[in-house]
Amino acid sequence: MNEPSFEDAQRELDQIVERLERGDVDLAEAIKLWERGEELYKQCLARLDAAHGKIDELARRAESTRS
Amino acid sequence: VKVEALQYGDRKVYTVAAFNRGVADWLSRLPSVWVEGEVTELRRHARWQSVFFTLKDPADGARLPVTILRSRFDALGLELADGDRVHVLGRPQLYEARGDFRLRALSIERFGLGDHLAALERLKRKLADEGLFAPERKRPLPRLPRRIGLVTGNDAAAKRDVITTITTRFPAARVLVAETYVQGPLAATAMVDALREICAAPEIDVVVLARGGGSFEDLLPFSDERLVRAVTACPVPVVSAVGHEQDTPLCDLAADARASTPTAAAKLVVPDVPDLLERIERSRLGLERGARRALDRARERLSRMHDRLLRAPALTLERKRARLEHAAGRLRALSPRSTLERGYAIVRAEHEIVRSVEQVSLGTPLEVEVADGRFGARVE
Repeated sequence: MNEPSFEDAQRELDQIVERLERGDVDLAEAIKLWERGEELYKQCLARLDAAHGKIDELARRAESTRS
Repeated sequence: VKVEALQYGDRKVYTVAAFNRGVADWLSRLPSVWVEGEVTELRRHARWQSVFFTLKDPADGARLPVTILRSRFDALGLELADGDRVHVLGRPQLYEARGDFRLRALSIERFGLGDHLAALERLKRKLADEGLFAPERKRPLPRLPRRIGLVTGNDAAAKRDVITTITTRFPAARVLVAETYVQGPLAATAMVDALREICAAPEIDVVVLARGGGSFEDLLPFSDERLVRAVTACPVPVVSAVGHEQDTPLCDLAADARASTPTAAAKLVVPDVPDLLERIERSRLGLERGARRALDRARERLSRMHDRLLRAPALTLERKRARLEHAAGRLRALSPRSTLERGYAIVRAEHEIVRSVEQVSLGTPLEVEVADGRFGARVE
């Protein structure tokens, strides 16, 4: 299965936070949502770190071709 | 006039005088005509009956001696000088004593700047009516020409300006130079030929026609109808850069682009590569900055969301707890305690709540519960 894109993961995380903040979910459901939210957060963070690495690499490569 | 000839056997022979008289007589029957040319070698003496000068064709230097009666010449009040352009009305004449052919002038009119301007204006209107100057005819210049044709005089400054500017801006540019006359009687046809020749060279994508500044007359060849037509007929775009004169040469109007100086023309035909590289470099830096900024924004937003996520379960729990306590309160309100507080008591016999007298007999030990505690009792 494809990993969700950063935007998809972020959107789901937003929805989870909003649902939790409304406070009208079952306790068990709330715990489950929280776990899911943390998972999504980690996914998003990993994506950002990857993007950061890519930018650094491109910048380095650009620097080396600059005459 | 009857010309007498001598007869030697079967050969007819004329004396020089007779021959000259005969030719002169024949010439004198030609009509008077207007001839245009440039005055040179003007000779006027108070002692002479006639004034002499030579009329020169500015196009190819052909010469024609002219005489005019001094009284007639002076009456015209032209104050002619060598180099002046004139129209001469006269008849061809042979000066019999010397066998000299010349034009005997009856009248002279100055054909000066004003006349040139008027002729130029007529030509301009004619060519404009043909649509040769129409903006929709103008072709766009190539962005990166493979090869640039340069038609110019051997006037070092204009050529150097164009080539220096082109190679500074676009070091890879290749320029093919056609040197030609840009001034004088032969200039117009020479430039037409040079233009045609350079357009025939391979890979020429644009042509610059350049000449440094000059007087109105110096620049006249650039308004020559043949050159103007050659410019419009050129298979590749033409940039004209002619002089700094107020009056625009017609080839400027016919060209696809015009520049005020040869340097400006060079700037039109090639992009400024160092400048281009610098701009690309700046864009590249902007690219990196933009990417990092987007990343930072995403990170910040994610971190805010995470904070909210962390707080959210505690919030839910809090709310649940509050509801629980509310329920507990209501539960407590419904318990018998409040009834006891109003003065009722619960009586138990052997841990059973006493609801009937039949449950007890004399002497049965009882337990009485009131609001704040219990005590023992006995049935009497």
